[in-house]
Amino acid sequence: MTVDAQLIEHMMNPKNYGTLDGSNSEGIGKNPNNGEKVIIYLKVIEDGGEDVIDDIAFQAIGCSTTIVAGSMITEEARGLSFLGAVNLIGATMKILEKVPPEDAACSEMVALALKASLETYIQRKKDIDYPTVTHKITNDCVVKEEEIGND
Amino acid sequence: MTNLAIKVHEAWLTTLMAGFMSNGVNKQRLFDFSDILFRHFTWIEREMVKDGVAYSYDRDAIPVKVEKLSVILYNIIERLNQIDLQLTSVNDDLAYRMAQDIKYITGVLPTLEDEDIRAFNSERRLDDIELSQEATDALTLFLFEESYKEYELIMIYNYLKAHSDDAYINRIFQILVDESFFHLKSFGDMMAKMGILGVPRSIYKEIYQIEDIREFFLTGIDEELKAKEECRKLSEAVAKNSPELAKFFDFINSQENYHIALMRDALAHWEKGTNE
Repeated sequence: MTVDAQLIEHMMNPKNYGTLDGSNSEGIGKNPNNGEKVIIYLKVIEDGGEDVIDDIAFQAIGCSTTIVAGSMITEEARGLSFLGAVNLIGATMKILEKVPPEDAACSEMVALALKASLETYIQRKKDIDYPTVTHKITNDCVVKEEEIGND
Repeated sequence: MTNLAIKVHEAWLTTLMAGFMSNGVNKQRLFDFSDILFRHFTWIEREMVKDGVAYSYDRDAIPVKVEKLSVILYNIIERLNQIDLQLTSVNDDLAYRMAQDIKYITGVLPTLEDEDIRAFNSERRLDDIELSQEATDALTLFLFEESYKEYELIMIYNYLKAHSDDAYINRIFQILVDESFFHLKSFGDMMAKMGILGVPRSIYKEIYQIEDIREFFLTGIDEELKAKEECRKLSEAVAKNSPELAKFFDFINSQENYHIALMRDALAHWEKGTNE
């Protein structure tokens, strides 16, 4: 991972980390191979006939990369309509196609958690007791053997 | 009582962070105060367990980015004053003890000499050690990952200890809590020196509300082995420019061996208990 100022800022102060008071939906993205997962909480409001993400938070069992991805994607998602959020997920997944699977896994987990949280909300409009939607990632987070040089 | 526990948890971490930020004579005093607040937290937790109160380790984000130590010290005083108002929710002996501690600590904190804080400047230089960009990046990622991990371990072992009356296994949990405190303080100090200090994120409840203790020990041993490997890589990465820093990571690496032995011991004890 290339460590730049933006990355450090997200690691020092992850945005939107934790649970969310007043949330009305949540969704989970999960790595079935190692137990890592991300849960995204949404507070959705109706604005001009559209469902809009008024507030968002996430928690994760995962590595620093997952936290950075969660911090960045939730920042992007706040204030978006559901259509905007779907576009954000689509754009993220498209970028991840070009990334090695072991690097893509963490961000995919966050994107799928966001997708699941939107789906949970839509289902709960029909059935208030609808369970939390969970999606499993297709990439795998294999720890790479890295050579760390000091030259 | 649950709200009190959350507030004490937050005050403990804030005081610990202030200890990392300090470069002077205040450091040890702030560490001592943070240790006292952690003990308050464990005592309140024990009360909650005894009374069957449902609780979690959820807490608010803790903003600690300051330029002067005095700013965070006054923040701690405010937190402690709020805690003082909530002490009626715990038993009289504990409330009295906490009130007296708070009275003393809030009296001392304003007298501490102020300091300029460099713990958030992102310079990523550790003392006068010249590291390559790659080694600096590796050290940065290691410190973020492992400082959280040590906080997580403190909370997991603490939670398990609070819910167990098995003296043998609780002795092991206490050793592991103490060990993780040493590692957390070492890594936190390095992060502050490098200008990248951050409060460890809160812990997802599934991590400490463990359903399968056997699986927990096995996974924990595996994670300790991975941590050893990370220490080894870092030691190699920094050896050329700083033999002292390399020795430190070798030292941390060797400490993990005993953690693994303790976890194996705890696992064997637990399995023996369940098979009887």
